[in-house]
Amino acid sequence: MSDYITRTGVYLCQGCGIGDAVSVDALEQIASTELKVPICRRHDFLCSNEGRALIDADLVGGDVNQPIVAACSPRAMTDRFTFDGATAVRANLREQVAWSQPAGEEDTQMLADDNLRMAIAQATETLPASAEPEGEYSRTLLVLGAGTTGLTAALEAARTGYEVLLVEQQDHVGGWANKWSKTMPHLPPYRDPQANSTDELIAATEAEPAITILTGALVTKTEGGPGKFTVTIELGDESRTEHVGAIVVATGWRPYDAGKLSHLGYGQSTDVVTGVELEEMLGEGPLQRKSDDKPAKTVVFVQCAGSLDPDHLPYCSSVCCGVSIKQALQIIRADPGANVYILFQELRTPGTAEEFYRQAQEAGIVFIKGKVRSVSADLGLVYDDMLLGEEVSLQNPDLVVLATGMVPNSTNPHIDPAETGADQLVSDVNPNAPLPLAIRVIDNNDDKSKSEPGENTEAVNGGAAAEPVLPGGALLNLQYVQGPHIPILTDGFSDSHYLCFPYETRRTGIYTCGPVRRPMNMAEAAEDAAGAALKAIQAIEGAARGAAMHPRVGDLSFPKFGLDICTKCRRCTIECPFGAIEEDERQFPILIESRCRRCGTCMGACPVRTISFDNYSPHMVSEMIAAIEVPDEFSEKPRILIFACENDAYPALDMAGLNRYQYSAFVRIIPVRCLGSINLLWISTALEKGFDGIMLMGCKSGDDYQCHYIKGSGLAKERLSKVGETLKSLMLEEERVTLEEVSIADSGRIPEVINGFVETIEAIGFNPFKGF
Amino acid sequence: MATPLPDSSQKYDLGFARWVYENVKGGDQLSMCMQCGACSGSCPIGTDMDHGPRKLIMMIRAGMKDTVLRSNTLWNCTSCYRCTVRCPRGIPVTSIVQGLAAKAVSLGYADEVVTSRFARSFWWSVTHFGRTDERLVTAKFYFSFGLAEGIKRGLGNLKIALDLILKGRMHLGLPHKVSDTGGLQAILEKAAEIEARDQLGEDKS
Repeated sequence: MSDYITRTGVYLCQGCGIGDAVSVDALEQIASTELKVPICRRHDFLCSNEGRALIDADLVGGDVNQPIVAACSPRAMTDRFTFDGATAVRANLREQVAWSQPAGEEDTQMLADDNLRMAIAQATETLPASAEPEGEYSRTLLVLGAGTTGLTAALEAARTGYEVLLVEQQDHVGGWANKWSKTMPHLPPYRDPQANSTDELIAATEAEPAITILTGALVTKTEGGPGKFTVTIELGDESRTEHVGAIVVATGWRPYDAGKLSHLGYGQSTDVVTGVELEEMLGEGPLQRKSDDKPAKTVVFVQCAGSLDPDHLPYCSSVCCGVSIKQALQIIRADPGANVYILFQELRTPGTAEEFYRQAQEAGIVFIKGKVRSVSADLGLVYDDMLLGEEVSLQNPDLVVLATGMVPNSTNPHIDPAETGADQLVSDVNPNAPLPLAIRVIDNNDDKSKSEPGENTEAVNGGAAAEPVLPGGALLNLQYVQGPHIPILTDGFSDSHYLCFPYETRRTGIYTCGPVRRPMNMAEAAEDAAGAALKAIQAIEGAARGAAMHPRVGDLSFPKFGLDICTKCRRCTIECPFGAIEEDERQFPILIESRCRRCGTCMGACPVRTISFDNYSPHMVSEMIAAIEVPDEFSEKPRILIFACENDAYPALDMAGLNRYQYSAFVRIIPVRCLGSINLLWISTALEKGFDGIMLMGCKSGDDYQCHYIKGSGLAKERLSKVGETLKSLMLEEERVTLEEVSIADSGRIPEVINGFVETIEAIGFNPFKGF
Repeated sequence: MATPLPDSSQKYDLGFARWVYENVKGGDQLSMCMQCGACSGSCPIGTDMDHGPRKLIMMIRAGMKDTVLRSNTLWNCTSCYRCTVRCPRGIPVTSIVQGLAAKAVSLGYADEVVTSRFARSFWWSVTHFGRTDERLVTAKFYFSFGLAEGIKRGLGNLKIALDLILKGRMHLGLPHKVSDTGGLQAILEKAAEIEARDQLGEDKS
């Protein structure tokens, strides 16, 4: 591409109030006279057919290959300003000038002028992005785990026309759902337990020719990236290698080990059972006590058994309430004379489960809000009644059911942790935070502990108390420099952007769904499975085109590494949130393109600034900063530079304009892919240039992050904390550079944030480097 | 005849709760209560109650028979119906409280309750004269506490009574009556008959 010549052309729009707010003549002057852009045209409505034809004519004629559209926000009219073979650079004159500044004022004009200058600088430094994917791309999906989630994912993908390899560790498919006597209702009116349809799901999956089911199979190694994963699978003594395009992880859950709940009577009496054990008892006919085969007439469900408890599972599994309601209804329907109590701390019946709860109340099941203190060997139950405000004892029910929570199978408890780098399973959003207990618990007795309660109790208790050990080996055993695991966030659940793209893990092309992602019931898991299968299909298709996955869907650019000056500092390798960068034998970084999400976190990390995209680079943004005119200190006009994350902060700024909120005209806004892509070079460039203050505006970081690239904003915060000292050594105030967390819904707060910062800067005074 | 009150010795023995379901109007809705507390939060005199309506319902479920039937909640309820209107589960809370009050009277739990005494005096006047005679209702109420207490209370209100008479607000002489007291008695007898018949019908079902 070195012989590529950029031919820019500026297209000015006068519509939507732009022509009233600023002098378009002056803007034209800047483009053609000051910056010598060869072609500069204007139109009253650039997005009209006529306006668009104006640009098309120049593109077709070959006079322009890089149009600069000075009109609305780059987020608006994207379909109108997308051209064959050219991507328009946009100067935002509408939302961030005409709609957020008073019309006809000098400062408004200066802002518009600078926005145009920045866009021209950006266009000059932009090369068209192109991807040239090489080699064979597999269109097969690997689905790991054949429970409800895995079977559904496989079926959905196969019916969409993709080959599926369904790998199950056990010797049969169906998972836990095989054991359920009935299931919670997922069809209207959501009031009665439903027949378990797992057999039908299994039959449908087995009948699907596009699905290959491997049972008794274990994935022992995974290499490559989206479109090109190479997976080693062990089938007994045989080992086979498969090429797959994307991976859906549906390894599900296991019940919390009730052996640790001896204070609730588990292990002391055979008439204290877990919810999972009760399922089997309900499937066997009339409910009988295990101890003496007498019918169970009075049954007490203990909710949150080991949940919401810092010593056990600190979280709520959300499903157990619905399951206990289902079981209670089954009991009372079979024997209307039965006394059924549900002792809950917080009854959680999300969505349609509320209807189910009503049904249970109508059926006469008694709900009691209370925290159980103890259950004795003779089933004497003592609890704190939260509504009566006193301690109550329930004497001798026939059966006590412990509703234990869900533990995610984000690691494989059947594999020796040491074998696959268990030490690397850390929450690297906050590497120093202690790992929650849920995943430190030894629980390598998964299936047996369910059917033979108490068998392993002693060993488990002893081991866990002495020294916490990771629960198992890596599911896929990824051969990544960043470690073999799929990263987790808290409580052992896999990390993903919880609200916006829940199935995306931090390993591109690998999608988690079902209870390994968060606790959920079968209906939710099936929905999750369909979602993850579709994401996996998108990954396959995107990888084959060399295009990015969410959130920069379709982006063809990717970071390029100038290895000639690379110092092998490894920061890009370590800080890439998606594990997209590997190292060669000399420890130079190698990009696995299909894993890359194009956030630019590597670019922000590189101390020698040798990582850049064709259309986004340290140099490009430096040029944009340089293009801004900074008035001298006698003008009384400070200049504030804002780097705004394009995912949340930039839209919030646009929406502030849409709402006609006015804010200081002294700010100059540069959109960035993620705060993580901000190279500290830009901050020093801006300060040298004479900017009085710099604000990084982006998503929330931390455990409840909103960052679309998970670690980007956290890394920016971390990096920024080190800028303070540099500033001090330059005799500059630390307050000149700040980071503001802004969500997409924060447009109302924008004026306050911006004006507040401008006031702070005005109080500190002008940048002493101004004019040097 | 009401179903005999069950004797519950243990918390959450459902005997009492089921008795309420069957014998108190609206009681069959009790199981639907989800203890959100909208009723107690809405109650204008909740602060003057031993237990708010939410807790009362919980205590019924918990089988706390004596506490429930002796609770002043039954008597302090002003029947404003806010709880009933606001209950998200549509439970007729006011009806249940009134029904429990009636049961408390018939089962002898309310003999000493002031409100209950007053209600009995009121009922006496209405059934005898078809009218409320304030003098007689007050006197009957006062003397229900005993002779000495009745005189004491009566004297305490002497000045008010004299003022009322002087201003012509309280009449002297025989109590006002409906013209057809025989008809009134017939109505009351018929009402009693209907009540007994309904009770019998419910018992049969």
